[in-house]
Amino acid sequence: MADVSSIEHPTLKVPYDVLNKKFRLAQKTLDREVCHVTSAVTELERVLFTDSRSASQISSLLGGVVEKLSSFKRKAEEATQEEMESGRVVKRRVDHLKDHDSLSPSVVTEWKRTRLDRLLVEYLLRAGCYSTATKLASSRSIEGLTNLDVFLVAREVEQSLGCRDTSKCLSWCHDNKSKLRKLNSSLEFNVRMQEFIELIKSDRRMEAIRHARKHFTGQEPGHLPSIQRCMALIAFPANTDVTRYKELLSDVRWDQLIEQFRAENLKLYQLSSQSAFSVVVQSGLSALKTPHCYRGATGHNPDCPVCQPSLNSLASPLPYAHCSQSRLVCHISGEQLNENNQPLMLPNGYVYGQKALQQMASENNGTIVCPRSRQTFNIRDAEKVFVM
Amino acid sequence: MDACTAVGREIDKVLSKFTSYSDHASNTISSLRGNIESLQIEISQVGNGDITEAQAVILSQALGRVKEAVTRLSTEHRDLHSSVSKVGKAIDKNFTADFGCISNDSVFSGEKQQLVNEVICQHFFREGLLDIAEEFISETGLELQEESREPFFELNRILAALKARDLGPALQWAEENREKLRSQNSSLEFKLHRLAYINLIKEGPPCVPQAIEYARVHFTPFVFQHEKVIQSLMGCLLYVKGGLENSPYADLLTPHQWSEICDVFTRDACALLGLSVDSSLAVCVNAGCTALPVLLNIKQVMQQRAVHNMWNTKEELPIEIDLGPSSRYHSIFACPILRQQSTESNPPMRLICGHVISRDALNKLTTSAKLKCPYCPVEQNPADAVQIFF
Repeated sequence: MADVSSIEHPTLKVPYDVLNKKFRLAQKTLDREVCHVTSAVTELERVLFTDSRSASQISSLLGGVVEKLSSFKRKAEEATQEEMESGRVVKRRVDHLKDHDSLSPSVVTEWKRTRLDRLLVEYLLRAGCYSTATKLASSRSIEGLTNLDVFLVAREVEQSLGCRDTSKCLSWCHDNKSKLRKLNSSLEFNVRMQEFIELIKSDRRMEAIRHARKHFTGQEPGHLPSIQRCMALIAFPANTDVTRYKELLSDVRWDQLIEQFRAENLKLYQLSSQSAFSVVVQSGLSALKTPHCYRGATGHNPDCPVCQPSLNSLASPLPYAHCSQSRLVCHISGEQLNENNQPLMLPNGYVYGQKALQQMASENNGTIVCPRSRQTFNIRDAEKVFVM
Repeated sequence: MDACTAVGREIDKVLSKFTSYSDHASNTISSLRGNIESLQIEISQVGNGDITEAQAVILSQALGRVKEAVTRLSTEHRDLHSSVSKVGKAIDKNFTADFGCISNDSVFSGEKQQLVNEVICQHFFREGLLDIAEEFISETGLELQEESREPFFELNRILAALKARDLGPALQWAEENREKLRSQNSSLEFKLHRLAYINLIKEGPPCVPQAIEYARVHFTPFVFQHEKVIQSLMGCLLYVKGGLENSPYADLLTPHQWSEICDVFTRDACALLGLSVDSSLAVCVNAGCTALPVLLNIKQVMQQRAVHNMWNTKEELPIEIDLGPSSRYHSIFACPILRQQSTESNPPMRLICGHVISRDALNKLTTSAKLKCPYCPVEQNPADAVQIFF
């Protein structure tokens, strides 16, 4: 249960944020519709209390009220449906997480498999492998359980920024205005600045000045030095060599914008900068890592993940697993060595389990071959070893 | 499960409140609208004149009700916000938001990224997701040797055939690798033949001669290891006419046999090829998910030791993490005296009496060329201790 609460925060928080957003939208819609209805009603009341109480006029105004009420009903229904749908997404995910504790082992195994797929999808999305992630999610039917949508929207914005188009980014900023303000985000300002710079680059300086008048005047005081630098740019030609202004004109700024957008997107949804996948893999490698994995091929166990070549080099900077009690396994059979399978030492110092040695001896007239040194001994030469 | 139950409770509350609000809103507006519509009809019947005083009063009352109801609906919706935010609070309280604090960003960045991608690609191959693997390779520009893909293609092909209940490719593979399978004591080939035989029997009495012919040809080499099973297989011929489902041999027909053969095949094939049975990535992730909460709990200690040093030196984790008996891939010896893991420079030593301690412990316990075992009163010369290898 503890592992669910450790890594599943993003799984639930992101759809909750969507729910919150939908709620706010719904509230705005309702308030707007209430305004419409109230104004229509007030108009009618005004007519009622003046002297002209012409039936036809009142009748048509009443028709207007009915219309506004219908539109209110429709919009309210749509809005609450959306809210409920996002609430249901949260509920579905919570129910899925509950399976982790199920009493049936096959359900738990399947759940763990799904967990690995979910972690992989998130890692792939962060790494930018969008089509692999989408394919994986759809082949395992887990789209509802992953935050695919968030990253796909982000991808559109990133792609548009890559094409030097700022419209999608600006509409994204507008959608998330309140949250970005809470984060003190400078993204929108930077985008506007970049637009200004692009206007300068294409020599449309008058337009640039108008653009600056429109967008730079409402900015916070902290941005003043950047604004001043931008305005100074007007004085320089597009191929200037003065370093400070050359920097402003370089294309690298677009990449920086994309980076900033990515980071802000993650912060917005309270996603950490590292993917859960890499954190989990690191912890797992560390918990499985033993000195044996690094002692050359003789120590390797093909089942041990850390003995696999790629994972082996990935795990080298990580700490080893801590063990305060001995845990021994027989090198031949892989079974534990304990009082049912006592460890026996051959004269060359290698230790194996009693069961495996006895089986080998019974098939070979009492002789045993040490698998690691290829020396032969008789089973009677094996001595007991006592490990506390 | 408290975390999930708590959040589940809150979200259930929210959903039920929304449903009731939605119904209520819908009904209220419908009734208001109906009311106004009927008034409209009544007034339009007046024709070209003015409305009466009474009608005006009724009308203004109705309008007042409309305004009040609509405003109230908006306020009720706003009140739902507290339930919604309770969900968020439950999530924040019960789930850890920042789990990345104990690990290091740089471990997987840069060239290491390629290694991670290789591992992921291997995992896709093993799980049989070949087209996803191809997509991944093209998106990341990964370069894989052909040989690393080959075994998986073959295995997946045979497994797919087995899942479709086609034993042909599996039998062919088992025959080709007969020697190696026998040296591993694998009974795969016999089990495949057994399934084929049962399939023939299932068809009913007309197939019996075919089944007997099959048995004659294929069971003979296996008599020595599997005599009893062959006897029972031949015995079930008695019941074919009456229907095997009603005989003591009914369990031969279960579909469980098929899933079992897939498992046996995977296990034996992987052992043959020197691959691990489970995907290493899966094992690693499961281990990590068990380890992570333990590490988060002692986050404080880790931060005191300066996180960067923690994850960059060859030290040990500060806490023991029990992954269960199935995750013991290596023998680990911890000296009972000094409580340290054995290393190349500090190996386990067996004393004459059979007890095992580490070399450092041995040196510490030696006084003037004599050593007394800490567990039994046997004395010995320290040089008589033998280094052992687990």
